[in-house]
Amino acid sequence: MALSTAEYVRIIEELFEKVKKFTYVGKHMQRWDAIEKILGKARFTADYANLYRNLVYVYSVRAKYAHAKIRKIDVSEAEKVSGVLKVITPKDIPGVNDVGYVIPDQPLLAYSKVRYIGDTVALIVAEDPYIAEEAGEKVYVDYEPLPVIIDPLEIVDPVTLEEKKHVLIHDERESDIVARYRIRTGDVKKGFEQSSVIVENEYRTQYAEHAYMEPEAALAIPEPDGGITIIASTQCPYEARRAISKVLGMPFNKVRVVAPPLGGGFGGKEDVANEIGAKAAIATLLTGRPAIAVHTREESIIGHSKRHPAIMWYKHGATRDGKLVAVEARIILDTGAYASLGPFVAWRATVHSVGPYKVPNAKVDTVTVYTNGVYAGAFRGFGNPQIHFAVEQQMDLLAEELGMDPVEFRLKNILRNGDRTVHRQLLDHGVGLEEALVKAAEAADWYRKRAEYAKQTGTVRRGIGVALLWHGNSIGAEGADYSAVSIIINRDGSITFRTGLTDMGQGAIQGLIMLAAEVLGVPPEYFRVEMPDTASVPDAGPTVASRTTAMGGNATLVAAYKLRKKLNEVAADMLKCSPDDIEIKAPEVYCRGDPARKIRWIDLIEECFWRGVSLQEYGYYRAPKARWDDEVGHGEPYFTYTFGAIMAEVVVDMETGKTYVERIVTAYDIGRVVNRVGAELHAEGGAIQGLGYALMEEIVHSPEGKVWNPNLYAYYIPTILDVPKEIISVFVEAGYIRGPFGAKGLGEPSINGIAPAIANAIANAVGVRIKSLPMTPEKVYLELKRKGLIKL
Amino acid sequence: MSTEEYPEIEITLNVNGKDYTVKVKPYERLLDVLRYKLGLTSVKEGCGRGECGTCAVIMDGKLVASCLVLAVQARGKKILTLEGLTPPGKLHAIQKALLDTYAMQCGFCFPGVIMAMKSLLDRNPDPTEDEIREALSGNLCRCGSYLRFIKAAKLAAEYIRKGQVYFEFKG
Repeated sequence: MALSTAEYVRIIEELFEKVKKFTYVGKHMQRWDAIEKILGKARFTADYANLYRNLVYVYSVRAKYAHAKIRKIDVSEAEKVSGVLKVITPKDIPGVNDVGYVIPDQPLLAYSKVRYIGDTVALIVAEDPYIAEEAGEKVYVDYEPLPVIIDPLEIVDPVTLEEKKHVLIHDERESDIVARYRIRTGDVKKGFEQSSVIVENEYRTQYAEHAYMEPEAALAIPEPDGGITIIASTQCPYEARRAISKVLGMPFNKVRVVAPPLGGGFGGKEDVANEIGAKAAIATLLTGRPAIAVHTREESIIGHSKRHPAIMWYKHGATRDGKLVAVEARIILDTGAYASLGPFVAWRATVHSVGPYKVPNAKVDTVTVYTNGVYAGAFRGFGNPQIHFAVEQQMDLLAEELGMDPVEFRLKNILRNGDRTVHRQLLDHGVGLEEALVKAAEAADWYRKRAEYAKQTGTVRRGIGVALLWHGNSIGAEGADYSAVSIIINRDGSITFRTGLTDMGQGAIQGLIMLAAEVLGVPPEYFRVEMPDTASVPDAGPTVASRTTAMGGNATLVAAYKLRKKLNEVAADMLKCSPDDIEIKAPEVYCRGDPARKIRWIDLIEECFWRGVSLQEYGYYRAPKARWDDEVGHGEPYFTYTFGAIMAEVVVDMETGKTYVERIVTAYDIGRVVNRVGAELHAEGGAIQGLGYALMEEIVHSPEGKVWNPNLYAYYIPTILDVPKEIISVFVEAGYIRGPFGAKGLGEPSINGIAPAIANAIANAVGVRIKSLPMTPEKVYLELKRKGLIKL
Repeated sequence: MSTEEYPEIEITLNVNGKDYTVKVKPYERLLDVLRYKLGLTSVKEGCGRGECGTCAVIMDGKLVASCLVLAVQARGKKILTLEGLTPPGKLHAIQKALLDTYAMQCGFCFPGVIMAMKSLLDRNPDPTEDEIREALSGNLCRCGSYLRFIKAAKLAAEYIRKGQVYFEFKG
């Protein structure tokens, strides 16, 4: 195949150039599943329990120590409990006892040792959930406790980043270093020599929890041919199928995964279904009965991935006239007991590590290490909230040193069209960062407020802060980056929409329908979205990495374009005009310039069926190949980037240290707004989640590796009392030629810039800089006291 | 003591206007009865500790976390869940307002949020923003639709004050 431009790429570019006026795209529309959800009828995974009889319940017996050898396990007492059908231990697993995502390092059932408090050592299958839990108490494990490591600095040296001598957590891998990445651009030594100001600091970010409202669940059903169907709360049904098949030792085509609507995902449900789904499936395999596993909130918190805590050292240098000339950074990410998506998180953090700026000289080293904490993996932002927290404070500190306004300083250094990133990637299309920053400053009334807040006295003070952000779209060099949908026009004119991309609440599937509706000329109400099910929907790649609109959108456009072409040809023949002149405005189809000459949509469809014109189309899109040179960190890691500017306005009470975020302005360049409601909700939802990350959220481990706060009582997330009075969202549509009508993703970027904007606002308000998350009242108060700014 | 040693107890409770007699274990929660014995799955379990609000229902006129109410405590009580909020085929003003403000995201918290709003508007037909925030402070929403909840509660109050309690809907 010597195709220089694949057909699907040509279609996307043609639509981008041709279509400039939209009927549905960019409009406020009610999402397709709003009614079933508002009525409380939407069926989430655990709700399926009512539809099956003869269920058995699966309970996970978890570790008593965060790090210990397992000498012996005795389940005989548990087996004797009346109502217990089976106690499953590693020897019962027919396939491979592993559910690791990137690295096969995570047993489904721990066998030789446990590495964190959430490890499962046995499964109880019983007639009743209470009996299962009770029997779980009777599983006796003879442990030989090992030293527990919670601090990643016990694994690596903070200066050399070399592994220290310690008791290995993953002795089978002979090292607790999971991954290393680096960037080497220019000559940082020279860069710092040219610098008039140098700012050097350590930043820390915390373990954070997704805290989606729906805890994980999975229900497995035996099939007549020996296969198993698993209904599971997963963002990625095809990934779950791969993982569960491996555990069951069954071919993919005998394992069917169905993914009902999710009560939130945020990355947390990327890989946990591999585990909980496999647990339910194996219970079904061994009992022949439908089996359900539902996490309690406590299990959810200790049993699924977290956001990686980070320790970051940043050194920035700039010239007297405000040009950024050098950045040096060392970043340590703690992935807890298992890698999960840790290596990819580290890579994304490295790629974005200098922020959306022109940096001629950079030296960045990132290392991800194991500890005995809860494993860390995918969480909205994927490494970027951490590095942005550091970089954007560094930028403010440089501006302060230079006596420049933080916005003006950033304007001198941001990436624009035609610039090269730190990886030497040429940005040859729609970089809307400058426009975003200017618009955000306008909407927030930046210059006036900044001047006004400088004159404050008293103990309750206001501040305004800025942060910029960038976020590479889709999975880049992490793996095969493709997506797919199929669109079927039924004989009654209604349309069936199928994709393996899932809706976790984000509303991206609504965007796909709007794209298809736009191309086909039919209202979105004609569509029915089928539940993602590996038995029917095409493998669309994972629903992660802000890729659904960009990647799934392109696949949707390809399918719709192909259908539209066929429809135009048949309609042209029926109406006796050129296919190029066919206007479809279902329920009517007519010739452009002669609307009186028309047929009905339903008649056009019927005619296609009579003529044998197939109205089922599969749309596929493969992203341009990403390039990455591991030695120097150069290449084209992502095919496009979302950019943004955040302004946060805070009120800080100096006597208590409490910060209230009063207003947030977000300005995102997402190329083209497709689902406007969804985009606004992301801007708002990301801001609120970012506010929680900034001010209150933190999973805390005891020295023994237990989680102190595995519930929503002690793990604080924002309530309605904590949210700002106002969140203003502005969009810049700079257009990416290979995005659906120019669109880029917003799912994850919407959290990247919130915490640093709030940190910079706190500094503006009261003159202290909090370099670790969360920025609790205690930290702010103690810092005020340390600096003598408050006397209490 | 093992779970099987607890005898089942027969209780009668009124749910959404209908009397039900069910057998329950003494440790069973109202949440379990509603979800699994009566099939009312709008009532969600988000934490099981009264911290998230997804299982909120109205019991004898008061908003309660059904995960913190033992089934036996609901004996003889009147329970309202989202399923019983409207006559069949209608939307309540609260639901209409939540749609009007495009508040829907994952929807898992919505049944609880709607019941909390109903409880608020039953006792306060014209709440201020602060009163709305207070009334919904027990309902967590991780997608972050909070600001739209405030707008929707105000809009719903307005509908109801104008006598528009139920709405027709398509779909």
